[in-house]
Amino acid sequence: MNKNVDTARAKRFYTVGIILLAVVVVAFLISLFWTPYDPYATDAASKLLPPSSAHPFGTDNFGRDVLSRVMSAAKFTVFISVSGVAIALFLGTLTGLPAGYFGGFADRSIMLVNNSIMCFPGILLALVAVAVFGASMYNVVWALGLVFAPTFARVYRAGTIEVKEYDYITHARVMGVNPVRIMLLHILPNLVPQLLPATVIGLANMTLFESGMSYLGLGVQPPDASFGKMLAESQAYIRVAPWLVIFPSMMLVFYILGLYFISEGMRVSLTKGGGN
Amino acid sequence: MARHIHVLKVHHLTLSFPTRKDPNPKPVLDDVDFGIRDGEILGLIGNSGSGKTMTSLAIAGLLPEGAAITGGSIKFRGQDLLTMKPRDRRKMLGSEIGMIFQEPSTALDPLMKIGKNLDEVLVAHGVTDPNERREKILSTMKTVGFDDPATIYERYPHQLSGGQRQRILIAGAALLAPKLLICDEPTSSLDTVTTVQILDLLKSLCRKLQMTILFISHDLSAVRNFCDRVMVMKDGKIIDKDTTSDILTNPKNAYTAELLTNAKLDTRMLGIERAHVDYSSSPVLTAKGIEAGYSDRIFGKGSDNKVLKGVDLEIYPHEILGLIGSSGCGKTTLIRSLLGLLPHTGSASVVGRRIGAVFQDPVSCLNPAHTVKWHLNEALRVAEKKLSREERMSKISAALSEAGLNDEFLGRKPHQLSGGQRQRVAIAMCLITNPGIIIADEPFSSLDASSSAEILKLLTDINRERGTSFLLVTHNIHIIRQIAPRVVVMDDGKICESGLTTEVLSSPKASATVRLLDAETKLHGA
Repeated sequence: MNKNVDTARAKRFYTVGIILLAVVVVAFLISLFWTPYDPYATDAASKLLPPSSAHPFGTDNFGRDVLSRVMSAAKFTVFISVSGVAIALFLGTLTGLPAGYFGGFADRSIMLVNNSIMCFPGILLALVAVAVFGASMYNVVWALGLVFAPTFARVYRAGTIEVKEYDYITHARVMGVNPVRIMLLHILPNLVPQLLPATVIGLANMTLFESGMSYLGLGVQPPDASFGKMLAESQAYIRVAPWLVIFPSMMLVFYILGLYFISEGMRVSLTKGGGN
Repeated sequence: MARHIHVLKVHHLTLSFPTRKDPNPKPVLDDVDFGIRDGEILGLIGNSGSGKTMTSLAIAGLLPEGAAITGGSIKFRGQDLLTMKPRDRRKMLGSEIGMIFQEPSTALDPLMKIGKNLDEVLVAHGVTDPNERREKILSTMKTVGFDDPATIYERYPHQLSGGQRQRILIAGAALLAPKLLICDEPTSSLDTVTTVQILDLLKSLCRKLQMTILFISHDLSAVRNFCDRVMVMKDGKIIDKDTTSDILTNPKNAYTAELLTNAKLDTRMLGIERAHVDYSSSPVLTAKGIEAGYSDRIFGKGSDNKVLKGVDLEIYPHEILGLIGSSGCGKTTLIRSLLGLLPHTGSASVVGRRIGAVFQDPVSCLNPAHTVKWHLNEALRVAEKKLSREERMSKISAALSEAGLNDEFLGRKPHQLSGGQRQRVAIAMCLITNPGIIIADEPFSSLDASSSAEILKLLTDINRERGTSFLLVTHNIHIIRQIAPRVVVMDDGKICESGLTTEVLSSPKASATVRLLDAETKLHGA
């Protein structure tokens, strides 16, 4: 009975999450091929126009179409968060799995580095890295990937320590399977239930970081747009042109909330309902 | 309250796991009907999946999510448990109905001291005075056989042995002196000597506290000197009910008789003969002066706690060598050293082919993320790298059928297999690498009687047909007596006795062997 309640709850979370996320993802997909106007084309004649049939989301202080810019911003936001998380996952695998599997000295030294990174506020480290190496989108991606890696490494390490004690891993060791293969093929698939929610939450947090950095001018560089960048640019016009703030923040909220709902659904269905 | 003849009465209880797809599935408990008389010890016996644990959970009100009672009633001293408010029922749990489980290692909170673990029980039941709680705990610990309760009170669960932990759990149940104590396989993970002690303890507590015990086990022989009456369960039904002596000596039901035969693991019934071993040939495995231990120091080189103190061992071709000893004697450490999983000193050499291993726990012996085929392929990959796809598949099928499974199982994942089937897959994984020797660590102890009989037959068949040697580690002296020509007894990290099984078991010299044999006799009868 309770199991049914749980799966129904998970289903509700998934539905809401996917609908919210779909708004951003669809905008991102369409922007790859088509936007109503060129997102970079300025038009002095149509500055700060309120939403109308010609410009459904209005225009900004350079006369650029906000809908087109929101769509292209979705592209950068999705790209940065997905590739940043991919880097973090890769680094996490590289460090967390061996740390958990070998234990002892390897574990201590790897986790020392990881924990040292975690000592500093993530956004600060990312800002420093970008300030030193120059503000560009690619620097943001790897800086964020690096900052997020320790979190994933911890998930990998904890999971590995648990799984490696099972007889099937002992058995693989007795058979003489090489440790790298044991880690990647024998242990890693069993960590998926823990990793999936962590990944989804990672995407959402990375987007928040990216928006923060772009807002401070250290993320995506003009004339490119990301949600955070658009919010920063629109700050001066918040009284005369509120649509400049509303639409990018709405998209940001949709994206992050969607991801959170999905991860909540995963948590419910993978931990409680998912018997097999 | 009026005294009832039956302290607990289960009336035509039916229970199932309905889902949306299948609202009326096959019931897990089908019309279960029995009563437990006041003060008796009632045994409930059945193979895994027969519904005995579900019965106990239904009585305790701890049914898992998704279970639905579709009919019947459970009356405890005249009160219907199923119509009670959850709050009242919770209050009853512990004080009126106590329960102890199979796995003593996971039932205690590892971060709390033993005393604190027990303290929680009293706090939950409203004993507010800390001194009174401490007094009560210490005296109960004394009752369950701890001579020095004050020291144990300050220990953490991992510092106790399995038998001691089980005692603590029993103490936790006895603190509240419940009318009914449900014991769900309380001895399955313990060795023979400890099992006998725990059963004795339960029996004496039963008298002292005037408790009634529902004793659940898959081992028919464990009820011999313990239960007053026995019920046999199969497929959610109670199919046989009688006094213990009648069930054991004169079973009326065919299934009970079958269980009895399986429980005896009678080799004549299974058609197994003892292996003939040529002891003049050179051994397949030679171990000399193996020492191993756990070091407390981080950078220390020497072992501070020696678990193995110089073990010599030889295993000959075609041999099944039995290794017995009580828990904590170093059996597992020896095996792990032989398999190269632990750092050790001394030499262990295997002639020719590789070592295979079969472990105790059929749940964790297979990787839940992968199919049976993947497992076998992975094992084969290690043994022989250069094989074509067809050769691989034919080898996989051959190993699987040798282990008594067919190609249907290739695509299945571990959770779709029973305990016995999983153990077979683990054996197939060994066979595919064509090992010269297989080390089997308690391969039967987690399986019910029927499955262990089948696995025993399978192992001996492999021994005869392939000439594979076995090192068989087990608590079950009975099995050793039947199939192992030679036996080694371990005690405190050393081999204290070894020789031909018939000689060692009929005229034991070491005190450890005598202890094991005494417990065996007490548990299973002469």
